[in-house]
Order: sequence, then C-alpha cells, then structure tokens
Amino acid sequence: MLKSPAQSTPTTPLSVEKTKSEIADQEAKFTLNAKDKYFAWAFLGPSLLILGVFIFYPMVKTLYLSLFLTNTVGKTTVFVGLSNYINLLTSADYLSSLGVTLFYVFAVTIITIALGLVLANLASKRLPGIGIFRTLFSATMGVSVSVAAIFWLFIFNPSTGFLSLASTWLHLPQIPWLTDPTAAMWAVIVTTVWMNLGFTFLILLGAMTSVPTTLYEAANIEGASSRFQFFHITIPSISPTLFFVSIITLIESFKSFGLIDLMTKGGPTNATNMLVYRIYKDAFYSGNYAQASAESIILTIIIALFTLLQFKVLEKRVNY
Amino acid sequence: MMKKFAAFVKTYALPIFAVFAIVLGIAFVNGSKNASTAKAGRIPVVFWNEMGGPAEVALDKIVDDFNKSQDKYEVIPQYQGAYDEAVQKIIQSHGTSASPALFQSFDISTAQMMHSKYTTPVQKFIDEDNYDTSDISPVARSFYSNKGTQLAMPFNTSQPVLYYNASLFKKYGVTSPSKSPSYSEVTRAAKELYEKSHHKVKGMTIEIYGWLMEEALANAHTSLINNGDGHTGNPTKINLNNPTTQKFLKWIRTNIKSGDFVNYGSGASAETNEIAAFLANKLGIFVQSSAYIGQLTTGTKNKLGISYFPHPDGVKANGVGIGGAALWISNDKPAKTQRGAWEFIKFTQTAKNQAAWQKATGYLALNKNSQKTKILKDLYKKIPSAKVPGEQLANAKPNNTNSGILMEGMQLTRELEQTAMETVYNGGNINSALNTADTAMNANLKTTNKADGR
Repeated sequence: MLKSPAQSTPTTPLSVEKTKSEIADQEAKFTLNAKDKYFAWAFLGPSLLILGVFIFYPMVKTLYLSLFLTNTVGKTTVFVGLSNYINLLTSADYLSSLGVTLFYVFAVTIITIALGLVLANLASKRLPGIGIFRTLFSATMGVSVSVAAIFWLFIFNPSTGFLSLASTWLHLPQIPWLTDPTAAMWAVIVTTVWMNLGFTFLILLGAMTSVPTTLYEAANIEGASSRFQFFHITIPSISPTLFFVSIITLIESFKSFGLIDLMTKGGPTNATNMLVYRIYKDAFYSGNYAQASAESIILTIIIALFTLLQFKVLEKRVNY
Repeated sequence: MMKKFAAFVKTYALPIFAVFAIVLGIAFVNGSKNASTAKAGRIPVVFWNEMGGPAEVALDKIVDDFNKSQDKYEVIPQYQGAYDEAVQKIIQSHGTSASPALFQSFDISTAQMMHSKYTTPVQKFIDEDNYDTSDISPVARSFYSNKGTQLAMPFNTSQPVLYYNASLFKKYGVTSPSKSPSYSEVTRAAKELYEKSHHKVKGMTIEIYGWLMEEALANAHTSLINNGDGHTGNPTKINLNNPTTQKFLKWIRTNIKSGDFVNYGSGASAETNEIAAFLANKLGIFVQSSAYIGQLTTGTKNKLGISYFPHPDGVKANGVGIGGAALWISNDKPAKTQRGAWEFIKFTQTAKNQAAWQKATGYLALNKNSQKTKILKDLYKKIPSAKVPGEQLANAKPNNTNSGILMEGMQLTRELEQTAMETVYNGGNINSALNTADTAMNANLKTTNKADGR
C-alpha cells in the first residue's frame, strides 16, 4: 500500500509542536513597558483607524439601519425592531432568492472544480505542444466580467446567437436561454464556470506539477492504474489546493454580481435574483436602505457560516 | 529563480516606472481638464446628467452653445451613469459641496424628488419670468407637475410606439398596421407575416418592461393606483389586476400561443436583441421607445414603419404618457446659481435646440414650433415615418391616467410588474401573476407611507 506523505515523515508534526512551544515561551517573557505600549498604539493606530472607518463603522451602521424604516431620502424614521428580518425570512420571494443563490453557488463550485481537475490532469502530462493547451485552458483568466457577459449574450441571442443557429441546423428544439427561468439559471452558471475555469485550472495545474514524481514511479512499479493514481496520489496530494480553490470559488460565487447585472438583471421571474444582486437593487434602485441592510446582515451571517463549515470540515480531510 | 527575478527587476525597473509615471501623468492631466472650475467672473452651475453615447455629444453641444450665448453663468455638465443609481447619488449628496445645482432625473423618480423637498419647483421661475409654457408639450409638462405646480421641466422625452419593418410587409404581401392600430389588428399582421414567411420571420415582440404595461393602461384610460394615479392625493391602493391589464396580457398570450411572438426578456439586452433581430429581418413588429429611431434607420436599406401605441379593441386610444427624464433645480445652492440653472433650462426648450436634439438623439422635440424648423423638415423628408411619434405626442390630451404614476417606490413597482409579465410570458396564470404583484406592491406602499409618516 502507498503511504501518504504525512505518514511517511512522522517528524514533521513534532517539529511544528516544538516551534509553537518556543514561541509561547518567548511570549511569556515578553512584557510591554509604557514606551512599548506607546509604540504599539502608534503602529497599530493607523490600521485600526482605517478598519474602524471603512469596516467597523459601516457594519455597525448597517446593523442600525436594519432595525428601522427609511424614508424618501434614506433617513431612519420608525423603529421596527426585528420586523425587517421577520418580513424577509417569511417572504416567499426572499426565500426563493436564498434557494436560487445556494443552487447557483454549489453548482458553480462543483462544476468549476470538476472541470478544472479534468483539464489540469490532461495538461499536467508532459507531451510536446502541451504549452499551447495550458495557455488555452487558462485563457479565460484575462477576460473581464463585462466582456464575458457580452460574449455569452451574443451566443445566447435567441435570433442571431450561435446556439440558436446551431440548434436550427441540427433540427433541435430552440432553448430560450435567457428568458426561460430554468435555462437562464444554467446560462448564468455556464458563463460563471467558463470565467472561473482559467484561474482554477492554473492553480490546480500548479499543484499537480509539484506532486513528487517518485510517488507515481512507485505506483507504476506496483502496477496501479492511472485512474487509481489520480484518486489515490493526485487528489490527496493536492487537497490543500483543492480546499483553497473551493473556498475561493464558493465565496466568489456568493458575491457574484457583474454577470447577473449584465446578463439577466435577476430575471426572469427572479430566477437568477441572487442575494447580492437583491441587496443592490433594494438599496440603489428602490432606495429601501433598511431592508437592504437587513439582507446584508443575513448574507454576512451565511457567508461566515459557510467559511467556518469549510474550515472545520474540509481541514480535517486535507492532507498537509 | 530569485536571481533571475532580481536581474529582471534591475533591467526593467526603470522602463516600468517610466510607463507608470506617464500613465499617471496622463490621468492627472485629463482629470484636471474635467475639474469643475468656471471661468473667472462666471457663476458655476454644476449639471449632473445621465446621457451617454450620441445623446451626451448632443447635450454637450447645447451646454457649449449656452455658455457662449452669455457671460454670467457657466454650466458644467457631469455624467453620472445610469438613471437608477443617479437618483440615489443626488439624494445622498444633497446639502454637501459635491451636490449639483441642476440635475437630470428620470420619469419614475418624480414623486421621490417631490417628497424629498430637495428641489425648487421650476414653477417659481416660470411665474417670476412670466415664461410662456404653452409651446411645450402639455402631456410632457403634466408628467412632471403636481396640482398645477410645475416641479421640473421635461427634457429628453420619448413615447412608446409600434415599429414595423415595412420592407418585409411588402415582400410578403401583408397589409401593414394602420396609424393607430388595435390589438387584434397587430395580431392579424404579426400572424400573417409569420405564416407567409414560412416561419422565417417572427411576427412580433413586446419587451418585458413595466413601462410598456403602464402605457397600455394609460392608452385605455385606466388608473394603476387610486387618487387619480397619485395626481389628486397620496396613493394608498394599487390595482394592477384590472380588466385592462388582463386584456393586454391576454393579447400577448394569444400571440405566444400561435407562435408568432418571440420573447427577448427584459432590460438592455432584450432591447439590443430585438433591434438586432428587427434589423436582420427576423422580426416584423415590436413596441418600444421612440428614442430608437436613429438606430433603426442607420445602416439598413429596410423601410421603417411606425404606428401609434396599440389600443384594446373597442376602446378609444387615450394617448400614452411620456418616458425619459426632466431637469430639476436643487434648493441647496444660492439664489444666483438657481437662476443660472433656470436660464439654462429655458435655453434647452427653444424650438431650434429641441429640433436639433430630436435629430441627434431620437428623443422628441417638446417645443411645438420645432416642427416648423428646417432641421426637422429635412429629417422627415429623409425618414417620413419619423414624423409619427411627434404626432402621437402632440395628439395626446393630458389627463390623470396618461400623466405618469405619481408614487414613490416606482422602481420596485416596475420590478414587480416585470415579474408578473415574465410569469405570463412563461405560461403562468394571468390572474394569479397579477394578484401576486398587487400583494407585494401594496405591502411596499404601506411600508413607504408608514416610513414617511403619511
């Protein structure tokens, strides 16, 4: 049987422990005198100030706004307690937005990672001309959101788009890509995956090429199939990177805005009205700052929960 | 690796730095060019607007002409992006040094601007100057007024019209729609075109756009909200589920079922797609803002046909309301600056300026004397159908139902109207779609009234 790198080098965890206890010893000896404290504040002050003005104050203000109603000019008028939250969480409209967002986020993350792995695995083979494919597969990294959206809008155009023409030639039924609620969701997912793929591919490829070749050589000697090698050497070895990429993709998808704004504007029938887009619309279209603030707080909690969950669950399965 | 990198930095650091410096320098020079400083001795009037593309060029020309025409004021135009976001920017910056003296704000923000009390109604200046407004389109004026007070001056104005590809109609031998067509007439034309072209040409489309549904109500003389669509008092009840809306949606449903209708969805992409399809001879008829005439007549050999906005069968057309935006004067600037803003507004309304504006942008000339100018006469000679939207505008007699809906929260109302339309276009039940919209709109109206203490 093959051993994972962590098992084969049992000294690694011990040495980490050692350095940790050394640091703890140093910290115990380290006490601040008045002058040091002054310096500490002088150095920390600017960043605290910036964080305070741009992060903490807006957060507190958002929380405050979410407990009121706001009038025509966005000023708070009537204190309503938690009723903004209650209204949201009992509104079928908002809950469907939540469901739609979760579907989108998971679909994008799973498909991006899966395709990224396939492409990276193909491109990690040392073959003549592989550089061309590596460049092609990572090419979408250089595409901006607006360009991607316009490019795909052309493809999805119901009269003159490529997909519509292709289905006419092949005598397939026409899919109304951006006007049918289910199809529109997939149109947005496809575009997002396409955009994310370049970055995911490149990171995964980097991880794959740094897996020690000795492992594969040993596996070859033992006669392991390439499929077995992929699932038992490649995947475990690159699991820290997989963990990183999945977190990034998941959180980025939660924050997806540009594509939605350019492609569907949350429609049709709110089928792609994700949480972030909804916040933007409620605040800057409708001027309903109170409700938008409540939505922001809910979104913050959701993202924090997912990040925590990912760290807790995935970290245990990651092979460092 | 590190060594290589160090060598790379050594070789290229200076050129890279130089490029950065040049880019920064250019950005700085360009930035200072746009800085809002007026020439010495002139009162600056900062003017926020949302005109991009050809309209921005045309607007800059009006501003330039105004600045050259006198030496007291200097209007400084500043582009602010999309209408929706500009409203929030205007409101949130009010009372600060960054706020504009004069701003352009779109049709559905009228009630919001009125209730904000951040503006000086232009009626004040109209009275001071005894300015004669009778030359300016009454249906456009009534949109931005409340109980006889002119709140803002209409500027870029459009009306929805029915466009048809006259060349395609001729090619397939189909009778084109009349000047003021009924729903069934449009259906007949769309269906015949679809059948006679052997399904190569789709008959018609109507964008999923709340504005178009509201105009269908206006044209049938039906109110969307109580208190005369908000013109006689603060609205308290919304009633989208009425026989007129039902008739409108049933009409569209009929066409969807017979296959001649094509759905391009909502928003800017829908407009781009329907225009692309129309110019590519794949679409015969569509209903859209008159502001698209320019795009529909350049780079095509096809003859463009234009009719009035369709009306339900057996109902006399009431005339549609306008869309577009108006010019407002902020009340947080000194009296002299406000006066300068008003002088500029007057300048925008002259027959000549309005005619040039229509020719350059496709928005409609508001001054009735513009029709006598050479600019428009030449335009109509070249494109005869371009005359139709102006006639529709001139023929509309203002009343409460075709003077817009004076209610706060119209942006959200539009959203909900659109969701209802989308539901119906995708095969949903008309009655329940409209009821869902009504419930949400009324809940929102109740919250708005509560928040505003009304």
